[in-house]
Amino acid sequence: MLDVKNLYAGYGIVPVIEDVSLSVQSGEILLVGGENGAGKSTLMRAIAGFNKPDKGEIVLDGKPLQGMAPEAIAKAGLRLVLDGHRVFPELSVYDNLRMGAAARPGERAGFAKAVDEIYEVFPILKEKHRAYARDLSGGQQQMLALGQAFVAQPKVLLCDEPSMGLAQALLPPILAFLRRWAESGTAVIIVEQHLKVTAPYADRAMIIERGTVKFSCAANELDEKLKADEVNEAFA
Amino acid sequence: MNASAKTKPRFSSDLPQVWIGIALIAITGFGPSIMGNAYWVHTFQLVNIYIAVAIFQNFLFVDAGQKSFGQGVILGLGAYVAAIFFGLHEYSFAVAGLIGLFAAFLGGLLFALPALRVQYFHLGFVTLSAAIVFPQLLMSMDKWTNGINGISVSIPWIHEEPIAGISLLSFLVALYPMLALGIHYAIRRSRLGRQLRIAAVSPEAARTLGIRPGVMRFLAFIIAAIGTGVAGLLYLPTVSFVSPQGFNVELSFVFFFAVVVGGRGQMLGPIVGMWIVFILPNILLAQFVEYRLLIYGILTLVTVMLFPDGIVGTIERWRVTRGVTGRGEQGFRLDSFIDGLEGEDEHKPTDKIAVEVRGGTKRFGAVVAVNNVDLSVRQGEVHGLIGANGSGKTSLLNVLSGLSRLNAGSFLIDGKDATRMSADRIANMGLGRTFQTPRIFREFSLWENLKIGMDAAEGEPGRDIVKLANALEAEFSQDSAELLSHGQRRLAEVMRAMLKEAKIILFDEPAAGLSQSEREHFAKLVHFLSRKMGKTIILVEHDLDLVWNVADRITVMEQGSVVASGEPEEMAKDPAVQHMFVGGRLA
Amino acid sequence: MLSEIIIIVVRGIAIGSIFAMIAMSFNIVHGATGILNFAQGNMLVLGGYAAFFLANNVGIGWWLAMLVVTGVLVAVVLAFQGWITLLPLRSSVEQDSWIISTVAVSVIVGAILLITQGPFAYSVQAVVPPFRILGVRTPGAYGLAIVCMLFWFFAMRIFLRKSFLGLAISALSQDFDAARAAGLPVRRLQLVAFAISGLMIGTAGFLVAPVISVSSDAGLRYVLNGFVAAVVGGIGSNLGTLIGGPLVGVITMLTAYRIGGAYQDLASLAVLVAILMVRPQGLFGRTSARRV
Repeated sequence: MLDVKNLYAGYGIVPVIEDVSLSVQSGEILLVGGENGAGKSTLMRAIAGFNKPDKGEIVLDGKPLQGMAPEAIAKAGLRLVLDGHRVFPELSVYDNLRMGAAARPGERAGFAKAVDEIYEVFPILKEKHRAYARDLSGGQQQMLALGQAFVAQPKVLLCDEPSMGLAQALLPPILAFLRRWAESGTAVIIVEQHLKVTAPYADRAMIIERGTVKFSCAANELDEKLKADEVNEAFA
Repeated sequence: MNASAKTKPRFSSDLPQVWIGIALIAITGFGPSIMGNAYWVHTFQLVNIYIAVAIFQNFLFVDAGQKSFGQGVILGLGAYVAAIFFGLHEYSFAVAGLIGLFAAFLGGLLFALPALRVQYFHLGFVTLSAAIVFPQLLMSMDKWTNGINGISVSIPWIHEEPIAGISLLSFLVALYPMLALGIHYAIRRSRLGRQLRIAAVSPEAARTLGIRPGVMRFLAFIIAAIGTGVAGLLYLPTVSFVSPQGFNVELSFVFFFAVVVGGRGQMLGPIVGMWIVFILPNILLAQFVEYRLLIYGILTLVTVMLFPDGIVGTIERWRVTRGVTGRGEQGFRLDSFIDGLEGEDEHKPTDKIAVEVRGGTKRFGAVVAVNNVDLSVRQGEVHGLIGANGSGKTSLLNVLSGLSRLNAGSFLIDGKDATRMSADRIANMGLGRTFQTPRIFREFSLWENLKIGMDAAEGEPGRDIVKLANALEAEFSQDSAELLSHGQRRLAEVMRAMLKEAKIILFDEPAAGLSQSEREHFAKLVHFLSRKMGKTIILVEHDLDLVWNVADRITVMEQGSVVASGEPEEMAKDPAVQHMFVGGRLA
Repeated sequence: MLSEIIIIVVRGIAIGSIFAMIAMSFNIVHGATGILNFAQGNMLVLGGYAAFFLANNVGIGWWLAMLVVTGVLVAVVLAFQGWITLLPLRSSVEQDSWIISTVAVSVIVGAILLITQGPFAYSVQAVVPPFRILGVRTPGAYGLAIVCMLFWFFAMRIFLRKSFLGLAISALSQDFDAARAAGLPVRRLQLVAFAISGLMIGTAGFLVAPVISVSSDAGLRYVLNGFVAAVVGGIGSNLGTLIGGPLVGVITMLTAYRIGGAYQDLASLAVLVAILMVRPQGLFGRTSARRV
């Protein structure tokens, strides 16, 4: 579904990520881990068009995306949910969801159905649908941000640190929602620091270190790989 | 080390530009007199006065980041008020000149006072409205100004020609823009110049370095006003006549546009720009005089669209991209500097409390970023602050450095209540910090990026610091900071905080993006700062190995609250910490 | 005495309504782009010129049609200006080139008007007859100014809160990156914002043409007073402009009557400096609460 080949990107003249390749198929979740500053967010932003890649290819369904503006990439079916539960604070919950429809391909009829689905998964959003988004808690804002992406029904979803600023307990329901969403045929990439909590929901995992791919593996092998890695480094 | 510094191309072309500028002004200022062409003598007298004004506009625009559309008013105040006292009231030129200069200063004050509170487009509108109001006032206050008739003055002695057909006036109006260029260069190279620039580019970083951006803007407007006022005094004998039409909005636009077209921030910009903006429509296209304004506007618009750096700036950019200096991956290493720092431990954490937070709460809308936090950090200790992204660590650092204010609770620094103190005051109490997104200034060389820490230091630098600074200067004074990776930028900020000789240093994820060996150097540096120099350090970091390696105490945050705090050994067993270990490794 | 007070208040509010409309037309563009258009005053004057050339001494039907035509024309001009202004922002690191380019456009428009129409002011015939308020005869255009301000205030309120387009423009001003990630066509929305500000200012200029100075050099003075109105009300707050505009209008009118017409702009400048010193965020402005 999404293929990223040998991507180089950064801000200004200094590359932050170098030679990163990844691919994700519809129906699967790829977990991207790594330290802060390793370049995970830069990678997501580069794929979504926020910073122009210096080199490399980004291919969605056979169509190259690199060089396109973020809004055009969103329309093409690749939706990035930014970190830090960013919503439009001065818009109501419902209007926030409406904005999500901007990237929705073609028909508007499915919009109401998608909103209903979101309300079903996160009933609190329905309860507060007239409230301003600024009056939601961080966790509710994250649900809303995801809901806004869900309404667009993208082919590929990039989710940058859904846990940021949230209580640990809130993460599993959000991950479960992402899992169901993936199973309906969407390709999902999750950037997350809580690898242990997230790995069970993912199919594959990939660790980024200092701008390059350190290793990728099946999600259920991640824990072992990390341990082995730790031992290797200790003896290195 | 020194040899390599010498062979590097220069980071900044300011100095050569100053010399070229002086040469150009000398040629145009003296050339026509020597050749005996009265028309060009007069034209270039005026052009050189305008260049001087544009030089101060350039300083204001780029070094201080302030857009003024009212420099014509300042020029006019100097010239007009001097004309009133000299021409109408027959004071001596010296006295009238002083009064004129004072008037220009007052005009500058009108711009500078709002600058204490606001910046950006607000001041653009203030200065523009002054430019509109000024000629209106000259017209309507005709009791003092002679209204529309203007004031004629005659100063015969200034037109005498002591040597080679060059009059005293020609000397003065050629020397003054040269002097202005020198002043601009000197300010830019000075501590004040660097602080002005930091305040303009990143007010936030400025405040954490103890700089008050409002005061910087204020000073810049005053400096520009005095410089421009002197040009006004020279205007008077050059034109021998002042009238309201001579100081309309158009004049202020000429100065602004000249800087843009010539190249913002370039030393040569005002000279080249003024030649184009003034000479092109007024001399070469003199028969189309009514199209003058249109030409100004179009020249400027085209410049902004096609060469945003202006003419000189475009050439300069070409020079820079051809010869970027800096050494990428190896651009900034600490090891060679740290190796010299070894020695016996002299300090230990004391029992005095350096930083104390009591029930601190910080909210953003409905989101609670810092929730009723109690924290105390002893003087001289390394205090690790850990927790997941978004758990409130950075928000807490922002509160401690005065960049954001607590909604409830209080905090003390060295026993003093700092809850409502501004960031610059806190910085001047001896607090320094680094940012997660490093504040690196591409206008400065790598060395200058470090030196601004020293600029912010209280008192004289210690012997060790001077030694370190000299070594850094020799190594990095011609390097561009733009080539550094993010990790190395963080290290540069660490070094900046060290040169600031802050007593309390807040590090915000300094190790992110660093290699294993760079981390070891960093750990050494933290140890040195704490044990050799007795600094108090709060370290926000995700590399738990590093934190456990250097910290004396560790505090864990979750969801804005402190969930555990204690010695590293006991903390390692704490359940709040246990789940942060993934696969045995600290994620 | 009483009649003088009535004249000052009524005309002040009416003139202030023009300032308020300039301020509102600032707000929508500023929200969507962060740009404050220094050429906005010239755009108001363009509306006035349109009234002179298209609708001087005509019937009410034709006049109304030309009102719409003028609005659309100025909207097109502004959308074009917006396109030019936004071009360098796409790539440049320097994000303040707009200050230079909008000032340059302001100078260019003024210069073109000067070259083609001369330096004198055009007088435009009133279509709406004068009316009496508390016994004081008031030109009809003053009434129109107030009505027009109220119309645009409520129109913008509904547009920004109910329509998808309006909500999207608000979203843009709240979180630009999130708007792009959501797939909102930001560049097009910004141009729409420019066009709407043109529609607003073009119709305003057309309606108030009989009582404003329709001349090539008047634009700068209007843009400044509009800016002062915006700052007094708080930049971004349309509600604030309803207070800020009339307040500035009454102050300048009072100055004109008590001190002299030449001092009106000085009075606005004094108000501007005072408000920036005392309350820079304006009456209704929020200090920005965005997270860093």
